[in-house]
Amino acid sequence: MNKLFRSTFVLFVVFVLAFPFSACSQKPSAQPTDQLEGTITISGAFALYPMMQRWAEEFQKNNPNVEFDISAGGAGKGMADAIAGAVDIGMVSRDVSAEEEAQGAYWVAVTKDAVFPTVNAQNPVLQELLAGGVKKDVFIGIYITGEITTWGQVVGKPEITDEIHVYTRSDSCGAADVWAKYLGNKKQENLLGIGVSGDPGLLDAVVKDPLGIGYNNLNYAFDTTTGKAVAGTAVIPLDKNENGQADPDEVIDSKAVAVEAVANGIYPSPPARLLNLVTKGKPSGLTQAFIQWILTDGQQYCTEAGYVALTQEQQEASLQKIR
Amino acid sequence: MQVRRPATALGIRRRKDSAARSFFYFLAALPPILATAMLLALLYRSWPILESKPLWKLLADKIWLPNQGEFGFYPFIAGTLWVTVVAMILAVPPCLLTAIYLVEYASSRLRAFMKPLLDLLAAIPSVVYGVWGMLTIVPMVQAIGPKMGKLLGFIPLFSSKNPTGFSILAGSIVLAVMVAPFIIAVSYEVLHTVPSGYREASLAVGATKWQTVKYAVLPKTMTGIVAGVVLGASRALGETMAVLMVVGNVPKVPASIFDPAYPLPALIANNYGEMLSIPLYDAALMSAALILLVIVLVFNILSTLMLRRIARRAKE
Repeated sequence: MNKLFRSTFVLFVVFVLAFPFSACSQKPSAQPTDQLEGTITISGAFALYPMMQRWAEEFQKNNPNVEFDISAGGAGKGMADAIAGAVDIGMVSRDVSAEEEAQGAYWVAVTKDAVFPTVNAQNPVLQELLAGGVKKDVFIGIYITGEITTWGQVVGKPEITDEIHVYTRSDSCGAADVWAKYLGNKKQENLLGIGVSGDPGLLDAVVKDPLGIGYNNLNYAFDTTTGKAVAGTAVIPLDKNENGQADPDEVIDSKAVAVEAVANGIYPSPPARLLNLVTKGKPSGLTQAFIQWILTDGQQYCTEAGYVALTQEQQEASLQKIR
Repeated sequence: MQVRRPATALGIRRRKDSAARSFFYFLAALPPILATAMLLALLYRSWPILESKPLWKLLADKIWLPNQGEFGFYPFIAGTLWVTVVAMILAVPPCLLTAIYLVEYASSRLRAFMKPLLDLLAAIPSVVYGVWGMLTIVPMVQAIGPKMGKLLGFIPLFSSKNPTGFSILAGSIVLAVMVAPFIIAVSYEVLHTVPSGYREASLAVGATKWQTVKYAVLPKTMTGIVAGVVLGASRALGETMAVLMVVGNVPKVPASIFDPAYPLPALIANNYGEMLSIPLYDAALMSAALILLVIVLVFNILSTLMLRRIARRAKE
């Protein structure tokens, strides 16, 4: 037991000592030469995480002396970390509120993606869901009012009494925020369901539960290698025109189709939305150079990585903010 | 000169001793100072909400909708207590029996093998326990939930309305496994302190091994074992990540072990990113931390008082 206490104590001391260093190890000096150097720390939205990794990788090819430290933990964490100065850049997959701006949050939109409703591939009414799509009111019944409780009700077959197992995100995040916004301008706190932490966690819960329903960011709903919905799940079409049928342009059966639908605005917004980077105050030095690169050269990697590049207009607006 | 030298050496030694003494005093004073500072800081940060709403309303309200200015902490307090109590019920008996086995029955070879293993269990990061809980415990609870509900559903405690495995039971099982090494380790050390004379005396009058444990060893060590349980429970009260991942995080007052719950640490961890976007949210999360701290404090004070009583009775 003494040993246990001692090792715990030593660990504690190490952490206490290491913390201030890790928090301010960065501070890149603006090099007179155009060779950039330093470490950029980034945390936040799961939605942006894969994209950010790709960007960091590409950026490093030209700037081998720049190190990246990227972690995912939900938009809320990104926002809190950025404002607290714990990271250089926070990834925030929702709108930035006026209160947060007042605290020094400075944001630029860098790319676009969307949130998709997902169900288990063994769902008892899967065929009906895929063929008919699901109306917004039905989602509201499932996620907001709780009036719709069986899969039979969803597809209009009251004889099917399988219960809907509703899952939602427990960590404060952009995906839940934008999904709630789609369901009648609500907030994450209004969403019903069992709270699971993290985008992969939510997906995993749906994969494990034949009667489950969840929602995921584009790059978690679709498998990176196959381009299809992640094994064990299906993405249900949103019946946008409410005709009770999944029309060809409403069916989202692969990542490429999803990206296309978000890009040309066929997929509604919300749940499509701009993804933001947040810094504490206007960025400078290395951080600024990196964000500027994302907005220019970095945009070409969006489609490949499963995101939608900014339109000319949005790109201009963002660049204006950063310069 | 020669006479004085030892005196100076002694002076230096005395000074060294007193320097060490004040340094140690400072170190010993740190924990209470830190705890008080934390309490005050939390009180200060949560003041805006404590000022705008009566305390009993905050503690007793069941609705949590920060965007609409509703901050009811009751579901979170209830969630914390439910998860901890169920975890302790699951953990204490097997832990105690394990410790008894290791000390009284096991061979020294087995003991030498088991002790480091238990210490290792204590060192596993909580997120690993969380992942394990999600992968194995949650599906298991999902499978047994409806069956238990059918069998024992007439008892509200066991009725199962939550069709998923994310529940108090899942959180408590994960917690029970997490606190087990602590409870076992403390009980083990405590049982070890009992002089072998006690056992020999008991065995000499013809008692069986179990009778020896029951009547000679355990009464002697009750205080220490309770202290181990308290240590485990304190840890369980504050455990965040592993519980958060399996407990369901629904801000409703639970009524059954199969219901989802939302303990206070999970509330803080899940939402601290939002705290700047909504008025009073910041203060609300800080008061959640304050409430948690007070719960742990009260629990520890109560158990200390209880320990004293037990100790006094043991002496009589």
